Amino acid sequence: MLRNREFWLVVSSGLFLGILGVLLSVWGNPENSGICVSCFIENSAGALGLHDNQRMQYLRPELMGFVLGSVLSALIFRDFRSRGGSAPLSRLFLGIFMIFGCAVFIGCPIKLMLRLTAGDLSAVAGVVGLVAGVWGGLKGLAHGVEFTPQSHGKANGGLLIPILFLLLLVFFFVRPSFLLFSSQGGGAQFAPWQMTLIAGTGLGALAQRSRFCITGSIRNFMLMGFRVPALWGLLFFVGAALVTNLVSGRFNPGLYGQPGAHIEYLWSFLGMGLVGWISVLIGGCPFRQLIKAGEGDADAGMVVIGMFIGGALAQSWGIAATASGVSIYGKISILAGFVLVAAGSLMFRQRTQ
Amino acid sequence: MFRDTFDKLSWSILVIAVLSLVVLLYVDGGTGSDKRTHGPGKALERELAYRSRVELISTLFAPVEKLRKEGNNQTALLKLDELIKKYPGEGHGHILQGEILYTMGAFDEAVASYVEGIKLNGDYVDAKSSLSRRAEIQHLVEEGLKNIGQRSAANPDNRTLAAFRQKINYLKSRLAGGCE
Amino acid sequence: MQINRVIRLIVALVVLGTFVGCKAEGKRQVVKIGYMLCNSEQETTQRFLPLTKYLSDKVGVDFVMVPVDTHDFEKRFKAGEFTFTHTNSLIYIVLHENQGVQLLASEKRGKLGSRSAGAIIARKGSGINKLADIRGKRMAFGPMLAPTGYLAEYDMMLAAGINPENDLGHYTIPPGSYKHEKLIYGVLYGMYDVAAAPVMDIENMTRDGKIAPDDLVILAQSKPIPYCTFGVAKDADPALVKKVKDALMSLIPTDTATVDGEQLKVMKAAWIDGYEELLDSDYDPIREMAKRVNVAPYQKY
Repeated sequence: MLRNREFWLVVSSGLFLGILGVLLSVWGNPENSGICVSCFIENSAGALGLHDNQRMQYLRPELMGFVLGSVLSALIFRDFRSRGGSAPLSRLFLGIFMIFGCAVFIGCPIKLMLRLTAGDLSAVAGVVGLVAGVWGGLKGLAHGVEFTPQSHGKANGGLLIPILFLLLLVFFFVRPSFLLFSSQGGGAQFAPWQMTLIAGTGLGALAQRSRFCITGSIRNFMLMGFRVPALWGLLFFVGAALVTNLVSGRFNPGLYGQPGAHIEYLWSFLGMGLVGWISVLIGGCPFRQLIKAGEGDADAGMVVIGMFIGGALAQSWGIAATASGVSIYGKISILAGFVLVAAGSLMFRQRTQ
Repeated sequence: MFRDTFDKLSWSILVIAVLSLVVLLYVDGGTGSDKRTHGPGKALERELAYRSRVELISTLFAPVEKLRKEGNNQTALLKLDELIKKYPGEGHGHILQGEILYTMGAFDEAVASYVEGIKLNGDYVDAKSSLSRRAEIQHLVEEGLKNIGQRSAANPDNRTLAAFRQKINYLKSRLAGGCE
Repeated sequence: MQINRVIRLIVALVVLGTFVGCKAEGKRQVVKIGYMLCNSEQETTQRFLPLTKYLSDKVGVDFVMVPVDTHDFEKRFKAGEFTFTHTNSLIYIVLHENQGVQLLASEKRGKLGSRSAGAIIARKGSGINKLADIRGKRMAFGPMLAPTGYLAEYDMMLAAGINPENDLGHYTIPPGSYKHEKLIYGVLYGMYDVAAAPVMDIENMTRDGKIAPDDLVILAQSKPIPYCTFGVAKDADPALVKKVKDALMSLIPTDTATVDGEQLKVMKAAWIDGYEELLDSDYDPIREMAKRVNVAPYQKY
């Protein structure tokens, strides 16, 4: 495996993700949220005026970096393929519920690991949930729950999401009047844009080449064990983040009083469980969806649109959890997500005679 | 991509539309005909709205501050009762209540009031906010943790201590930061 | 038809189980709760009868309310007239030190939660603006066993170097019921120059519109101390004690009890905001005050 180029790509992705995930927080991003796709999407949705939480409005350059980095890498290595047509509307809805799951846990799978490596033991419930969700998704796949295959071709509109994110980058620099920026709260905490854009672009490119994905790593490990490099990437990510947290003095082990965390373990478990399950069905965690959208996958693009809608609704409808706990709307949204996934599994399962 | 009439027509429309867009952005950006569409104006509007809100809060709660200065904490609490009922979505009343209760020595109730205030408006834990009470809350948390530590360990089944600990941990979590 | 038989059997078992599980009122264990009189027996009964009924419903025991005068409380408890006690915090300490009564729950009421404070008040415009001005004046105290109507204020005066026995013109304790309200009115209408008033009573009278906060000057106010307290005899059945404690701790504003055919909200009737679990050590400030002021249970002759 050590001679395998793919192995080193995956390991590098994990390493850089772990280091930058902590450093971005040191440089100004919110605590334990150096990289958090769901939080960043909620912030960006707010910046675009899709919700009115004045403390969560900032167009995160990291997101643009991830997508554009993926585009650049895909174009350079001739990996850009416009493709789509595999249950796009279902993916849109699944994207919405994936963000709901993240919002209830307060973090995407990347932030889950960043919280854990910062000593936030309340994230353990999320880890267990994520693994359980991935397992559930795999069971579904094994029993015929899968989307129709994609078709390839320019007509699928694979360029649209990259163009959209390019436009968002232009907005970030031009600052049109409809763009909103928080002066208080999490939306007002950000690292210098140069660092975030460079980090995001670099990570986007690396992740495009390596196919790195948190839930994908767990899934591949369950299927094939250590024979594939996937889990090594995750382990290096966790290790790098842990070391960086220790070195930067951000390792504070404990259950209570952690930044951006609540102690409703059941809902952390269920929230991440939903994320894990959906991730397996749609082929990747929120981060991976951004990367795939960057390399021309229009179905991943629909998930990204769904995630933006989910981010807006999570804030507008009070679904997002806070340090004081999970609201009734958050709980309902998680259960509704499981209803959607379970019903979909039953209805769309390809049954053998 | 330039084979027939339709291709030529599509290209023409594309070029005209792009040029028109560029001209429109250039012209509108130069003359500033509609002030509402200007970025800095919107940001300034928000800043002004925020400052107005802070001023309004000061005005609304001025009678309470006056009573506090006179040392009339009990009457100040009664006045706050009225204001909290009148403006239930406003966190400032709870924060002031917490400050008064702390002065009076009612530590547990002071913590509960601060928690209510911060849940309504997180600006009180932001270091840079004009409403910031970060230092007081930090002090409250340190005192609370010192207070609760031994008592909680000696009485693990005590529900009141558990509830109090939860409140202190909430304040600690908010001070630590995060996405809220 | 087999199914019908099964269904009938299940229904019969459920009905039987219901009757077996519930003991009819009057055939249950009877336990008495001694309630220290607050302002009057009528007020105390009106406030705490719904709570007593609530406890009966929750715990499955017939609780009987026994109103008891403050000065007779220890004597009647010692005689075994009641198992549970509802008293002020000083009486709880007396019972704890002398009779081994255990702390069950502390009552929450008002802004200070389960605590209250004592204040020394004067009428605005009387010329008495600070504590030192009360020397040589006429003062009214609440009952001697009132922690925030006598004990806290007496203690504050001693701490300020004012000896109530020597440094006042004279002091008195109003007779009869509603003593706390009487002395507040007494100050307002000039019968007394200063008074020792519980902050709770000042708050309630202001809220009820009986007095205006601007009419009074608070010369001194004590630190908050625990106030109304539920206690229990040390030899009471631990299972029963736990049930009563759980019932008190789980009391919420919407809980009701039926008294004389009328459904009443328990907390609203009792004028309380709930119960919490303080520690016995939380009552130590009162113990220290009692020692300094030389009142029961630390009185030295």
